[in-house]
Amino acid sequence: MSTVSDMADQQVKPDVYKSSLKPVWCPGCGDYGVLNALCQAFARLKLKVEDTMIVSGIGCSSRLPGYLHSYGFNAVHGRALPIAIGAKLANHKLNVIAAGGDGDGFSIGIGHFPHACRRNVDITYIVMDNQVYGLTKGQLSPTSPDQAITSTSKYGSIETPIDPIRLALGCEAPFIARGFAGDIKHLVEVLVRAIKHRGFSFVQILSPCVTYVGKQQFIEIKQRLHYLDQDPEHDCRDIASAVKVINEQDVISVGIIRCHERPHYQKKLAKLNKAASRKKAKLEDLLDTFRP
Amino acid sequence: MQKRVLITGNEACGAGAIAAGCDCYFGYPITPQNELTAYMSRHMPEQGRVFVQAESEVSAINMVYGASAAGRRVMTSSSSPGISLKQEGISYLAGSELPAVIINVQRGGPGLGNIEPSQADYFQAVKGGGHGDYRMIVLAPSSVQEMYDFTRRAFYLADRYRMPVMVLSDGRLGQMMEPLRPGKGSKSSAAKLPPKDWALTGASGGRPKRVVKSFFPADGTLERHNLELEKKYNLIRRTQSRAGEYFCEDAEVVLAAYGTAARLCREAVRRARAKGLPLGLLRPVTLWPFPAARVKKLAARARAFLVVEMSSGQMVEDVRLAVEGRVPVAFYGRSGGGVPEIGEIYRRAHRLLREKAQGGSQDRGTVS
Ligand SMILES: Cc1ncc(C[n+]2csc(CCOP(=O)(O)OP(=O)(O)O)c2C)c(N)n1
Ligand code: SF4
Ligand SMILES: [Mg+2]
Repeated sequence: MSTVSDMADQQVKPDVYKSSLKPVWCPGCGDYGVLNALCQAFARLKLKVEDTMIVSGIGCSSRLPGYLHSYGFNAVHGRALPIAIGAKLANHKLNVIAAGGDGDGFSIGIGHFPHACRRNVDITYIVMDNQVYGLTKGQLSPTSPDQAITSTSKYGSIETPIDPIRLALGCEAPFIARGFAGDIKHLVEVLVRAIKHRGFSFVQILSPCVTYVGKQQFIEIKQRLHYLDQDPEHDCRDIASAVKVINEQDVISVGIIRCHERPHYQKKLAKLNKAASRKKAKLEDLLDTFRP
Repeated sequence: MQKRVLITGNEACGAGAIAAGCDCYFGYPITPQNELTAYMSRHMPEQGRVFVQAESEVSAINMVYGASAAGRRVMTSSSSPGISLKQEGISYLAGSELPAVIINVQRGGPGLGNIEPSQADYFQAVKGGGHGDYRMIVLAPSSVQEMYDFTRRAFYLADRYRMPVMVLSDGRLGQMMEPLRPGKGSKSSAAKLPPKDWALTGASGGRPKRVVKSFFPADGTLERHNLELEKKYNLIRRTQSRAGEYFCEDAEVVLAAYGTAARLCREAVRRARAKGLPLGLLRPVTLWPFPAARVKKLAARARAFLVVEMSSGQMVEDVRLAVEGRVPVAFYGRSGGGVPEIGEIYRRAHRLLREKAQGGSQDRGTVS
């Protein structure tokens, strides 16, 4: 992680990370909370803006990079992960954060998710899950609940929704967390831990869409919250704890669900390159094997 | 005759598909075609037919591939970025000789571009956006009525020639409302078509098995297959090219435009004619096959062409090819969501008419 080391003793103000652009999100959108929490987490970690890169897909949530004062990349619908991985592998020093919505990440982009989990490149992926397609005006999303009525499911959805946490666990993501855009203080803690984690970290943020789902989405989530950091039985290093979370029915657990350190990709790549370079092939000799 | 209804182009397209007997529709949301997906989600179930919002455009076009192989009438729709993702599937449909209807409600590009109307996917549509030696029939509506009629006709052409057919529309046509008279328009009755004796319908009863494929690895087989495709494409070139003409008989300067741009040009011609100026409009209705013979014929008597597009200049290349240098071909285009202005079309055409009268012959290839 690249931080503002020369300011080690000083406080960094969260506003440093805000761009001058005013968000065009609807008043009351959960994504405002995510933006604020992210700025506070950056400030806590003293990330250097010039060493931090936010890559997003396309969607309301994917507008996030525009509102942050760092390297921003509003990329391709569903492709934030491969683009983020490419950037991180090209420049290990960057703090790379991929961001997007539930449609972006779990519909069109879902094919990239298992590979990001197993490849374990040291990036953080945050998904602002509002259970709907916001930007395109309220269509069914893969996380929309059973029976959901949307502009493309006029008679109610007949498809089983994806649970992103269950998916991440099945894909052996080394770090899995959930936060709520309506509790910024808690979300900051979660984001700090996720960014600090060495390897691929995934955070599902419940971020209500007041326009296409409605204000009650906030209230319903709030009523069901269960804070894992206050649960003495929860141990994020124990997979059984994570399994318990994905099977819960009435409550919605927020916090660090799973944290399992294993060597990340760059570390393994460095080792591999070192072993391969022992052969010390010179550039000008590269074609020697083809000589008769 | 049925009563007229006021409807958007996107919805008219959906209504046309349902009228044509579309059995399955697979889509994915993208602006500015969302009304079409929403329309299908409401009305396909009412007809007992299949509607699925796929997880991506790649998935949607492959659902189309499967449903088509099963012998069903099938459609997908999207807008430019999503159509790019469908190119692989379109190439496979063409290679496997399967019918399918694809609607592109174009928006500005490249990349994510914007959601304004555009005609910048002309090259992709008519020159083969996917890989390999294939062609796709491309129809260009320029009214809400034609969104309905051409979608119906697309199903007929797709079945008749066993190939993908695209309706190339744009955000303006998709979103605007106009009166539509349903049921009017082109034939799309399945009765006149040959039976789908290639469809994968289950091989009980001892008939020989059928294989749908686009893979021809054995020596020479792909070339033979492609020669067969070419024969079919040549037949379509000879028989299916269509264009509309407006005041072309005595036109000295001919505007050439399709879709939304053609609507604007029509108005410019009307204004010119009101002042007695010899301006005409050629409106390609099929973009592939391109009505090259019509252009060539007009080039024999007109003194200049002015091609108008909502792009930086794409169809103009086909007009120039057809004109073969006989007369100058000027271009006026707006890119990135810009729409050509009628006044500007008129001014440029007027300038060409004046230049012609004075015997000048400059080729103005400007983009503004
Ligand atoms: C290839 C492609 N297909 C479709 C779209 C249209 N599109 C833009 S955002 C989006 C989905 C947005 O939903 P989500 O990711 O959940 O983000 P939200 O707006 O809800 O935050 C879609 C379908 C696109 N931009 N590119
Ligand atoms: S449409 Fe929904 S997700 Fe998009 S900005 Fe508005 S509230 Fe937020
Ligand atoms: Mg969403």
